[in-house]
Amino acid sequence: MNCTHAQERFADVFDGRLAAADTAEVRAHLASCPDCQREYSALARTLAALDALPDARPGPALRKNFYAMLEEEKNSAASVAAATARHRHHARVSLWRWILAPAAAGVLALGGFLLGTRFATPAPAPAPGLDPATARIIADLQARVDSVGQLVGMSLLQQRSTSERLQTVLATLDKKNPDQKVISDLIGLLALDPSTNVRLSALDALYPHANQPIVRSGVLATLPREQNPLVLVAMIDFLVAARDREAAPELEKIVRNETIDQGVREAAKRGLAQL
Amino acid sequence: MVNSAPDAVDSATDTLSDHELMLAVRDGELDALGELFERHHGPLYGFLVKLTGQRTAAEDIAQTVFQRMLKYRHTYRDDGSFTAWMYHLGRRCAADHFRKNNAAPAATDPSQLQDHADDTPHAGDRAATRDDHALLHSALGRLDRDDREVLLLSRFQELSFAEIAAILECSVGAAKVRAHRALRELRDTYFQLQKEKLT
Ligand SMILES: [Zn+2]
Repeated sequence: MNCTHAQERFADVFDGRLAAADTAEVRAHLASCPDCQREYSALARTLAALDALPDARPGPALRKNFYAMLEEEKNSAASVAAATARHRHHARVSLWRWILAPAAAGVLALGGFLLGTRFATPAPAPAPGLDPATARIIADLQARVDSVGQLVGMSLLQQRSTSERLQTVLATLDKKNPDQKVISDLIGLLALDPSTNVRLSALDALYPHANQPIVRSGVLATLPREQNPLVLVAMIDFLVAARDREAAPELEKIVRNETIDQGVREAAKRGLAQL
Repeated sequence: MVNSAPDAVDSATDTLSDHELMLAVRDGELDALGELFERHHGPLYGFLVKLTGQRTAAEDIAQTVFQRMLKYRHTYRDDGSFTAWMYHLGRRCAADHFRKNNAAPAATDPSQLQDHADDTPHAGDRAATRDDHALLHSALGRLDRDDREVLLLSRFQELSFAEIAAILECSVGAAKVRAHRALRELRDTYFQLQKEKLT
């Protein structure tokens, strides 16, 4: 063994987890080579000093903040779970009733049309033939989604705590026929709310309205900007349950993107098979 | 491990592995994260102090790491290693922290890091040891963050090189080469500082 090879394997000797036999050759070389011995001992001294460096100890704030955070998460997780259990069944039933409705095919076609005006693209003029109310909602959503940096425009996100925003969402679940303002607020929360729980609840609250093209295109439009795997999977489930075939290209993108969480990619793959 | 009575849970968590605890957290038993915090926040914080050279930053980053464990608990894998995951998050959070604050880690102020110094019994030895620690902290502070990171990780006995490679998203061979190169860098700077002190 020459000096270069020996020195390349110093890391193995220092590792300490390898059996002595694995590094016997290096040790044999060391015993007969003063140059390598010098190099070895300098590195060994440095490592010994590094290992001897005492660990700093954290102040009491770290533990206090951790348990406060844990408590908050437990509370919000519990409230979401309870609310979801109460409403999910009802929501899914309404959704399936809609899917079986005779008007579904026509609405799907409209949904495809609306998707042509994806929010991500720079301000497309509302297509002719769109009714003014729908056009207004799309413009409104577009403005919000385009200015994530400036959330001040959205009243729901202002001056309210996470649990208050959650309550707002849950309150919409009890409305039989919520108006378009409520729907677009829910989509806005799904797109922009910093709290995972609020976004998930907003998605749940949107289930009964999946028959509205604006809802499906809203969910689809927020899909690429969502970072949380849990929310992503829920969104994919939503689009698949709504049989939104327009979602296929976006799901394919997710399947192909290796930087995305594995669980999400599998959900997208399953979804594609069902669409 | 089967818990027959609810009051058996507390003593039972003591004997569960990190991995089992994290799987419990993933399945919604959030309190299990408390035990993981108690076991690991000390070493994690120590690592972050050495990595960043800043106590306040290390505390913020450690806090964020546990926050992300909660937030991304469902992404924890059946075949995961908790410690590797924790340092993976620690590394990400540190990078985010410095990107957000738009600043590289500040040069280490060794005196600031020494207030919990060692427990060496002899006063003379202690002063000398403290000086040596200070020099090494300075030397560490002069490494690139990547080099500092791989070197510190490689000295944690609970992490295998395979895990370190996974944390750094490189091959095992590359991780070893990087760790060794970083050690040489540190040696050069450390010895240089020692020489400067003597003259
Ligand atoms: Zn040699």
